[in-house]
Amino acid sequence: MKVAFLLNDLQLSGGVGVVVQHARELVLRHGHDVTLVLVREQEAAPWEFDGLAHLHVEGLDDARRERFDVAIATWWETAYSLFELEADRYVHFLQSFEDRFYDRLTAERPAAAAILDLPVSYVTEATWIAETLARVRPDAPCLFVRNGIDKDVFRSPETLDVRLDEPLRIVVEGNPDVWFKGVYESIGVVRAMREPRHLTVVTGDASKIEPGSADAVVGPLTHREMAALYGSSDVVLKLSKVEGMFGPPLEGFHMGATCVVAPVTGFDEYIEHGWNGLVVDWDDPAGTARALDLLARDRRLLTFLRTNALETARSWPTWEQSGTFMAAALEKIHRDPPPPPYAGARQLVADSRLALETQRLLMHERNEYRRLAKPALRVKQTTAWRRLKRLREHPAMQPVWKLMRPFTRRVRSKLTG
Amino acid sequence: MPDWQERIADDTRPSIRAEHELRYALAAPLIRASTRWCDLGCGSGIGAAAALAGKAYAGRALLVDREQAVADRAAAAIGRRRAVALAADLATPEGVAQVRGALGDRDDPLLVTCFETIEHLDDFAPLVALLVELAARPGATVVLSVPNDAFWAIENPHHTTSWGEGAVEELRALLPADHVVLHQFALNGSAIADPAESADGSAAFALAPGVPSHVLLAFGDGAEQFAGAPVARVVQSDVEAQRRWERQRESDLLYYATAVKALEERLAAAEQAAAEAAAAAAPAPASDDEASDAPAASGHA
Repeated sequence: MKVAFLLNDLQLSGGVGVVVQHARELVLRHGHDVTLVLVREQEAAPWEFDGLAHLHVEGLDDARRERFDVAIATWWETAYSLFELEADRYVHFLQSFEDRFYDRLTAERPAAAAILDLPVSYVTEATWIAETLARVRPDAPCLFVRNGIDKDVFRSPETLDVRLDEPLRIVVEGNPDVWFKGVYESIGVVRAMREPRHLTVVTGDASKIEPGSADAVVGPLTHREMAALYGSSDVVLKLSKVEGMFGPPLEGFHMGATCVVAPVTGFDEYIEHGWNGLVVDWDDPAGTARALDLLARDRRLLTFLRTNALETARSWPTWEQSGTFMAAALEKIHRDPPPPPYAGARQLVADSRLALETQRLLMHERNEYRRLAKPALRVKQTTAWRRLKRLREHPAMQPVWKLMRPFTRRVRSKLTG
Repeated sequence: MPDWQERIADDTRPSIRAEHELRYALAAPLIRASTRWCDLGCGSGIGAAAALAGKAYAGRALLVDREQAVADRAAAAIGRRRAVALAADLATPEGVAQVRGALGDRDDPLLVTCFETIEHLDDFAPLVALLVELAARPGATVVLSVPNDAFWAIENPHHTTSWGEGAVEELRALLPADHVVLHQFALNGSAIADPAESADGSAAFALAPGVPSHVLLAFGDGAEQFAGAPVARVVQSDVEAQRRWERQRESDLLYYATAVKALEERLAAAEQAAAEAAAAAAPAPASDDEASDAPAASGHA
């Protein structure tokens, strides 16, 4: 079977890594002809993903000249290029509901949501995504394929290394700039702990972490380096607001670390409170710090959670098993008739209307603000205002303005409400 | 120690054999009603033979195993005249094609059983595709089972893939939407029977001659009524409680072993420190000239 995975780029990210692993398994174990189609002009060299060497990578122009059995969008933006490829079947590999990554009033949000209305088959990696999709798009074929774990890299220890007296070793990972990763919140929680602890933050840019707020700041790390770090850690602390399959704690589980997490989407795929990890409440830094203090004090509980984390990891599929399900899913999609072309049309129309209404509201708000600002704008267009502005910017006048600052601040505050 | 005997044989643990035979017993009415029966991963045919309960199967059976000798044994257990033994590796497209070829494309009633087989296959995609394809034929039914081995911490070396709730959900997504799901539960139980009758196999439950757990004695006017049919009571095993207990024990063993080791190290260090202190406190054998000038031992270790 000839398969195309559409990607924005091959930069380091969990989502891209998952696609590369599936593509690799399809080639090496199932004999499929797989192409990674990069839909954007590439500015940076690709990340050195394991297995990338086995894959054929090409740009959209080259891919347009080929014919595929199955073409797969892997991110909402790549769906814009999906139908530019000639293929028997079109698929969206849904790793999360991607509209949630954007603020409410951004243009990307409704656009990412509307992609879910396309007449395609879906493959998803988490139960919660499959269940939500079944409600949103009951007409859409949806197959479920969990992400595997590279058990050669995340090689579980034969026996657990029990730590009795050392500070609790905590790992926080993620991009601090991404609001939903909760990295700063996690660091704050660890700082609020009372018991001895050692915090390692893994991030691509160490400059984003305030000096002294963590015992170690490392990264970016390869999977093997990440595995080694998890292996020397007790707890993976993850307070993300949005997750798809929620991979990092599972990687930690494989190396014998338990986790403290918020009940983010995807957590219940494998985390069981009090069995293999602790699930804390949203926006409860004090409670989360207490949960970590508990683990630092009660090493018997910590050992129990870590033992069960390891047990959970043992039952998690390898990439080989996961790749087999992906192969079976794609073969089924190719074998079955395509979804009807009008599938999702009703939802598409509803989403378009919603986007229209949202845009209308925004325009209305903007016009209202413009109306309110009109007198001020009129003043700004006067010659007197322009002269005043020039005077304000004159170096000689700066000490005067400085003296007047409390007064001008009060006036500005009154004007802006 | 777990005994990883993957083929069901005469000496297989009774509880394992019972659950194996029960799966075939569930399929038995459909097997008898079908003109063709295909058993994928048939093993030595013990379960299938028990399900047919000694009654001759009127249709044609295709018994498939990776090993020809094992498939032959299964054919013998069911009746050679009615059964064809086929050696095929179901983990490969070629092996699956062999089965497809052996079954042909006839549309007469067909039952396919595939119990505890998928977890042994590196690549189960071709087999699942075949099962779905066969089930789509008129008059065809497929019954398959996978273990819930995700529930246990110990890895079975014969299983190449892991089957828990998640994997079952993944498999279900590949099957026709109207498939039926049944759960098989482990039971604990007890039976009371007349020892003379318990071995004849007529009871709804099999009581092999063996050592009873208790002996009941009845006498008096009504004692005879106890000599009737055996009675039994079964309850579902609390697998979850057992799992919790086992994991707690495992983690406690680890924790306390480490704690004891740490305590022993501390004790050894304390003993050594005490010995050094004692040695330091002891008056050093000194010469007569030095004895008067030597400072008193401080006693600090």
